[in-house]
Amino acid sequence: MNLVPLALYAAAFLAYAWHFARRTPALGRTATTILAAAALAHTFIIGMRTMEVGQVPVFDATSAISMFVWLLAVAYLYTEVTTDERAMGVFILTLILALQAIPAFKTDVDVRSSVLRGPVFGVHVSSLLFAYASFALAFVIGITYVLLFKEIKTKHLGVFFARLPSLQVLDQMNQRAIVVGWVFLTIGLVAGGVFAIQAPAPAMTLEDPKIFVALVCWAVYSFELFAARRIGWAGKRTAYLSALGFAIVLLNFLPISYFLTHSHSF
Amino acid sequence: MRLLLVGISHKTAPIEVRERVDFQARGVELALRTLASRRPGGNGAEIAVLSTCNRAELYMACDDVAAAKSELVSFVSTFHDVDPSAIEPHVYDVTDLDAARHLFRVAAGLDSLVVGEPQILGQVKEAHSAARQAETAGPLLNRLFHSCFAVGKRVRTETNLGSGAVSVSYAAVSLARKIFGNLEGRSVVVLGAGEMGKLTAQHMKSQGVKQVTIVSRTIAHAARTAEAIGGAIAARWEDMDAALAASDIVITATGAATPILTKARIESVMRPRRGRQLFIIDIAVPRDVEAAAGEIEQVFLYNIDDLQASVRENLARRTSEVERAEAIVDEELGKFGTWLRSRGVIPTVVALRQSFESIRRAELDRLDFKLSGLPPDARDEARARVDEITHLLVEKLLLMPTAQLKGLADPELATMYAEAITRVFGLEDAEQKTDTRVEPFRAKSRPSGRQR
Repeated sequence: MNLVPLALYAAAFLAYAWHFARRTPALGRTATTILAAAALAHTFIIGMRTMEVGQVPVFDATSAISMFVWLLAVAYLYTEVTTDERAMGVFILTLILALQAIPAFKTDVDVRSSVLRGPVFGVHVSSLLFAYASFALAFVIGITYVLLFKEIKTKHLGVFFARLPSLQVLDQMNQRAIVVGWVFLTIGLVAGGVFAIQAPAPAMTLEDPKIFVALVCWAVYSFELFAARRIGWAGKRTAYLSALGFAIVLLNFLPISYFLTHSHSF
Repeated sequence: MRLLLVGISHKTAPIEVRERVDFQARGVELALRTLASRRPGGNGAEIAVLSTCNRAELYMACDDVAAAKSELVSFVSTFHDVDPSAIEPHVYDVTDLDAARHLFRVAAGLDSLVVGEPQILGQVKEAHSAARQAETAGPLLNRLFHSCFAVGKRVRTETNLGSGAVSVSYAAVSLARKIFGNLEGRSVVVLGAGEMGKLTAQHMKSQGVKQVTIVSRTIAHAARTAEAIGGAIAARWEDMDAALAASDIVITATGAATPILTKARIESVMRPRRGRQLFIIDIAVPRDVEAAAGEIEQVFLYNIDDLQASVRENLARRTSEVERAEAIVDEELGKFGTWLRSRGVIPTVVALRQSFESIRRAELDRLDFKLSGLPPDARDEARARVDEITHLLVEKLLLMPTAQLKGLADPELATMYAEAITRVFGLEDAEQKTDTRVEPFRAKSRPSGRQR
C-alpha cells in the first residue's frame, strides 16, 4: 500500500530535480502538483490504517516512519506555498524517498500492547514526530545554506547562487524550523515522562537508548538556540549544528528503533 | 497588406546619429499623431513607433511598402529636423516576416547592446500601447506585437538569456542580495570619496539601503560626495572602525598604496558583531583590503577582478543561451506566418461563402412561390425545414474547402488555390463587395479588392 505514495514521491523527486536543472516555472508547478498528489495518497493510506486499527498508526517503527514522511511532505509543501521557493524540493524529496522506502518495503506490523494508548501517549508520539519533521526541514535548509555559503565565499558563483534564496532567508527558515521543532520536542518529551509515570512499563528509564538519545537531541537543539541568541552563532555554524542534531534524530529513528530499544520500538 | 520596418539602431548608427532621431525627446505620441495625419502608406495603414536609447524603429502595416519607406525616412528627417543625407546611410528597412522576425528578436533581447537585457520588453510594450492609444495600431500590428510579447515572455522563462549580472556594480548588488536578501534596512560604508565609490554607493542607494556613510581622509571631500549621493552622511577617517562595525556592506575605493583594511583590523571589527556577516567590495587598484581578510568566517571579500570575472561568466552564459532563444523566435515566427498567410486567403473564403449563401437565398425565394398554394401553417413549417436543411448543407460543403485554404502554409500555393477558386466559382464580382485589407498574397491577375 505504501508503494503508491513512494512511486508518486519518486515522480515528484524527478520533477523537482528537472526543475532545479532547467528552472522553468511550469516544471515547478508540475513538481508541486505531483508532491501534493503524493501527500494526498499518503494521507489516504494513513487514514485507512487509522480506521483499521482504531487509532493513529504510530505504534511501531515502520508506521511511525511513514507518519514522519507524511508530516515532512506536508510541512515542506506548506513552506513552499508560503515562500514560493522550490529549489530545496529536490533535497527534501531525496530524504523523503529514502525514508519512505522503509514502510513501502517492510510490511510486517507488530501488534501493540494495550498500554500504548490514551491521549498522553498520542501527544507524546505526534509531538515528537512533528518535531523530527521540523528538524528534517532545518537540516535540509542548513545543507543548502552551507552549499550557497561556500559558493559565495570561494567566489565560484554557480548552480546554487542562481537557484537558492539568499543566505539571510535560508538562515531565518532554518532558525524558525528549529524553534518549532524544539518546542514540539520539549512537549513530546514531557508527555513521554508523564506517560511513563502514569503507566509504568518495563525499562522506561535513561538506560533505554531511545530515551537517552532523545535527551541528547534536546540538548543539542537547546544549545543551538542558545548559541544563536546569546553567543551570536549564525549561518554556517548553526547549519552544521542542525545537521548534527538531525543525524542524532535519524540515529534514534532507524537503528535504535529497530535493534536496540527495550521499551520503544518506534 | 504588408509589414514594413524602417529603423536606426546601435548596430547601424553611432550615438551621435541615434540621439538626433530620439523620438522620446519629442514624444512618441506626437510622432504617431503627425504620422497619422501624413498618412504614409495610404488609408488604413497601421503604425507603431519603438524608441529606446539604442534604437528608433517605425513599424508599419500598409499596401505599398516602397512608397511608405521613402515617406517614413522623409518623416523622420523632418520630424527631427535632420538632413536626410545624415540618416539615410544608417537606416535599415525590412518587410513582412523579416520585419516580424526583427521585432521578435528585439523583444527577446537578442538585438540589444547587452544581450538579454530586461528593459527592452517593457519598452516594446510601451510602443504598442502608445500606438493603441493614438489609434494607429490595427489588427495586423496588434497581432504582431502580441506575438512578440509571447516571444519575450517565453525567452525570459524558458532560457537563461537574461540571467546573471553583466556590469560590475550590478554584480556587486546581486551578490549583496544573495547574502542579505532584501537590501532595505542595510548600512553601507564607502571608504574614499572618489568617483568609483560614489557610483557604486549610488547604485546601492537605489536598491533601498537604509544608510550610506562616506569615510574619507578629508572630511570636506566626504561631505561633498555624501551630498552628491543624496541622503548619505560623512564620517571622519578616525571614526572608520565604528562605522565599519555598524555596517553590512563596505565599498573600498581609495587611492592608498598599501592596504587600509588588514586582516587583524577587520577581525577586531568583527568581534563585537556577533556573527553578523560583512560583505566587502574592494574596487580599488591597488587593493585596499588585505586578501587574507577573506579568510575570516563571516566576511565575504570581493575585489574588482572577482566581480569582473563573474560578469564575464554571465556574459558567456548568455551567449550560450542565444541559440535556444533564436529557436523560440523561429517557432513563434512560424505561428505568426501561418496567421498572416491565413489572412491572405480570407477574402476568397468570404467571397465563396457569400456566393453559396446568395444561391441558397435565391432558391429559397423561388420555393416561396411554389409553396404559396399551401395553408399558412404548413407553408411556414415547410419553409423552416428547407431553410434549416439547405443551411446545414452549405455549411458542410464549405467546411473542408475553408479549412484547406486557411491551412495552406506556402504563399505561392495559397495564391494559386485562391485564384483557382475565384475562377471556378466566378467570385470576381462578389469579391468587389468584400473587405480585402489583407494581402500579402493577392493574386496578381485578380482585380484588387476595395481598399479600406
